[in-house]
Amino acid sequence: MVKIQDLRHIRMLEKMPDRLLALIGQQAQLSIFSTGTCLFRTGENVDAFFMVMMGQVALTVALNPDMDVILENIQSGRTFGSSALISGGPASYTAICQEPCEIITLSGERMQQLFETNDELGFYLMAGVARQYKTSMDARAKMIMKTLDRHPEMKPFIHDIETLTPAY
Amino acid sequence: MVPSDQLKKIQFLDDLPDDILEKISPHARQAVFEPDTILIRQGDFQHLVHMLVSGKICLNARSDTGRVLTLDEVAPGQSFGLSAFFGNFPATFTAVCTTPCDIVVLSGDLMAKLFETDHRTGYTVMRRVAQLFKDRRNKHTEQFLHALSTHPAINPV
Repeated sequence: MVKIQDLRHIRMLEKMPDRLLALIGQQAQLSIFSTGTCLFRTGENVDAFFMVMMGQVALTVALNPDMDVILENIQSGRTFGSSALISGGPASYTAICQEPCEIITLSGERMQQLFETNDELGFYLMAGVARQYKTSMDARAKMIMKTLDRHPEMKPFIHDIETLTPAY
Repeated sequence: MVPSDQLKKIQFLDDLPDDILEKISPHARQAVFEPDTILIRQGDFQHLVHMLVSGKICLNARSDTGRVLTLDEVAPGQSFGLSAFFGNFPATFTAVCTTPCDIVVLSGDLMAKLFETDHRTGYTVMRRVAQLFKDRRNKHTEQFLHALSTHPAINPV
């Protein structure tokens, strides 16, 4: 169980009504992880949603057998593992604690069960998840555009370039 | 108002339950736009979700140095501007009609009000948006990594 005032440190939950935070708090668990702890690896099933209270978690992918790329550093107040709240599925990155971390976790399966009976909770959390995906989607698109801007000769090597534009 | 059977032709909405589409239907408006109409400019805040029924729309994006790096054609049935559902996101592209376009639009503000009073509709639509954004984000990540792996500094010829 996690207190409402602790959950308020999480950016995605800042504006959420207290009654919903109380529900989340009942399901939440606060854990401490040491530096270097791998929370999950690329390809593993993500069954929890992670909210960083303190510390820093690196989200990395292997570019080749010798090189890892840090996609994002998740710091205090931010979240990752959102796919656990939608449908689960394999992780598209590896999450590693860069320093001692205090992290709140929510079981994805349990939260999805709650969404079926509490639409208000589902709406607020899903809107937060959608916003978060939008932000990281735009950041990735910008990275690609910046790379192509500096190296236009690389354009033929980028497949599906048209999917950079947000048509669905 | 746009009938729900018309909304079903939009890919983004086609697998939503009928009762949800019935609730969205009164908030939708349909309009025809002339060629060369600019629907949204890159950097402007998006207030409308656009769903193309017929015609062609070009989406293009300029880099920080002014070069147009991508150009896409929106096909009938496709949508753009989904972030209007949760406001305060500037458009990452400019959208221009290249032919007469029949477009269904949804006001982000009106939909936000609907979601606030009807959480089931809000949850269902936001879940769909989150899944679409997640899939696209993952594609972007793959593209970025592919670009990086072919980068001359990382993979010298």
